[in-house]
Amino acid sequence: MGIAGLLVTLLGFLVAAASVGVSSNLTMRMIAVLIGIAISLAGIMGMIIPAFRKKAVWRNE
Amino acid sequence: MTRISYLAAAVALLSAAAFAQTPAPAPAAPPAAAAPITIDEIKNVSTPDNATRIKGDPDGGLTGNVGDVVVSDSKKGLTLGDVVNQIGQNRIAVNFVWTLITGFLVMFMQAGFAIVETGLCRAKNANHTMMMNFMVYGVGMLAYWLIGFAIQMGGVGGVATLGGVNPLNDEWSITLFGKAWGLFGRHGIFLTQGGTYDVGVMVVFLFQMVFMDTALTIVTGTAAERWKYAAFMVSSFVMGAFTYPLYANWAWGNGWLANLGGNYGLGHGYADFAGSGVVHAVGGITALALGIIIGPRIGKYTRSGKPNAIVGHDIVIVLTGCFILAFGWFGFNPGSTLAASGNGALRIGSIAVNTMLAGMTGGFGAMLYMWLRYGKPDASMSGNGLLAGLVAITAPSGFVNTVGACIIGLIAGVLVCISVEFVDRVLKVDDPVGAISVHGTNGLWGVISVGLFADGKSNFGGSWNGVNGSVTGLFYGDAGQLVAQLIGVATLIGFVFSFSFIVNLAIDAVVGQRVGAKAELEGLDLPEMGQLGYPEFELKARVAAGA
Repeated sequence: MGIAGLLVTLLGFLVAAASVGVSSNLTMRMIAVLIGIAISLAGIMGMIIPAFRKKAVWRNE
Repeated sequence: MTRISYLAAAVALLSAAAFAQTPAPAPAAPPAAAAPITIDEIKNVSTPDNATRIKGDPDGGLTGNVGDVVVSDSKKGLTLGDVVNQIGQNRIAVNFVWTLITGFLVMFMQAGFAIVETGLCRAKNANHTMMMNFMVYGVGMLAYWLIGFAIQMGGVGGVATLGGVNPLNDEWSITLFGKAWGLFGRHGIFLTQGGTYDVGVMVVFLFQMVFMDTALTIVTGTAAERWKYAAFMVSSFVMGAFTYPLYANWAWGNGWLANLGGNYGLGHGYADFAGSGVVHAVGGITALALGIIIGPRIGKYTRSGKPNAIVGHDIVIVLTGCFILAFGWFGFNPGSTLAASGNGALRIGSIAVNTMLAGMTGGFGAMLYMWLRYGKPDASMSGNGLLAGLVAITAPSGFVNTVGACIIGLIAGVLVCISVEFVDRVLKVDDPVGAISVHGTNGLWGVISVGLFADGKSNFGGSWNGVNGSVTGLFYGDAGQLVAQLIGVATLIGFVFSFSFIVNLAIDAVVGQRVGAKAELEGLDLPEMGQLGYPEFELKARVAAGA
């Protein structure tokens, strides 16, 4: 889950960076960049953090 | 014409110096039209004679005159070339001194960070927290001198305000979508390789080094009270050598983010005047990655996941540290012009005022938010609000007006409070000092705010990132600038986070990031450092642990 989250986070960056190459339309680029940011945030907050929270010290206290 | 104007100005200055001792100067004549200057005029500028000079110069009217202009050939005497060269060197000297002194101010911010973080931690970890903040200066500097500076600035292609800095001219690029994407520089290893034993390069190095160290010291706050000291050393070294320099190259070193304007027509490319993204967001996002890996402190959360407040031990040094940081920020932002003379560098006044205003509104925003929400004007959050405002204004400080600066700071002050609650209660990432929110969240906000509030009035030498004209945000008509800024944000969240996460996972596997539970409960001062921060005090935690 953590590794998958990392890949998703990186994917978001690639989507945003590639936005400049896939379209010359400013609106399309803006949408692509925002989608990329959302994907990265989902990877961090939706996948990586929950995966590591399972091992958190307070779960075993 | 420009040359003639310079010469006319030089002669006017020299004449003024020569006649400054006149008791009752005549009213200033209207400026004369620029006229060709002859060598005779230069040679006839008088200097105070020795009989006058030996009487001293109490009002300073005699000191600094034509006699102080360096002559290249004493047989020829003063020439036009000597005068012009002196003017050029004086301009670069002013810029050198400005950049160095502002760099010294930024260096002093390490002291501010050290006592803010230590004050927000418990007394049983005071020595450990201070030592991390103390040694991160040296560890980061070593890494940066070895390789980091070359990666960041090795291909910047010159810094006009500092006399050229021509040896930094080797950027490694790949071609994507038909354009060169600069990824890292290759000149400047050990500050000798690639012809970089150069006075201008040294000034650039000092200034950029203290910025890099600021990013590194952000991470120590989030991981405080449980970070194994050896892991801290390795992690900080890697960040100073690779993580920070890579992103800094892309933004400031002629990398692909800076060229989004020239290559793809997105405003002036990614614009981050003094480092909301490069310094603060890189530090804050690396802190988030490490905070996830290292986990919360023992006692921070109940078994059901409810957060407990773990208060710091000294609010006095916390707020003192905030003041030191606010002082240092006058080096951070105005110094980022790398000049006080030429290329629009007189903007430093505006930048300094923007900086102080945003810090003020940031402090107000956080204080009022906490007062309204919890009934008391929380001191530590007020301090964090000040810092959040300063972090947020760092990127836009060179591009916005004072109203924009106040709005940016005010939003930052409220945002830091909301972010601290979100990180603490929703993400359940333990951040003892709020570094993720102050530097990460507000670093990102600062980057975005350039794309919104840049008013198009700045003019740093006529262009920015090689694109003519002034940086202009969405509210002033350029939506492309906002897209460039958002690509920077996506890079910080997507790339910098991932890179930092992988690096710190590897360190966790090899060195181990976290101390043992016994050491954490006792406090890290003795187990990790061998000495208590406050040896004459009886600390509750140590009494409870029977130490």
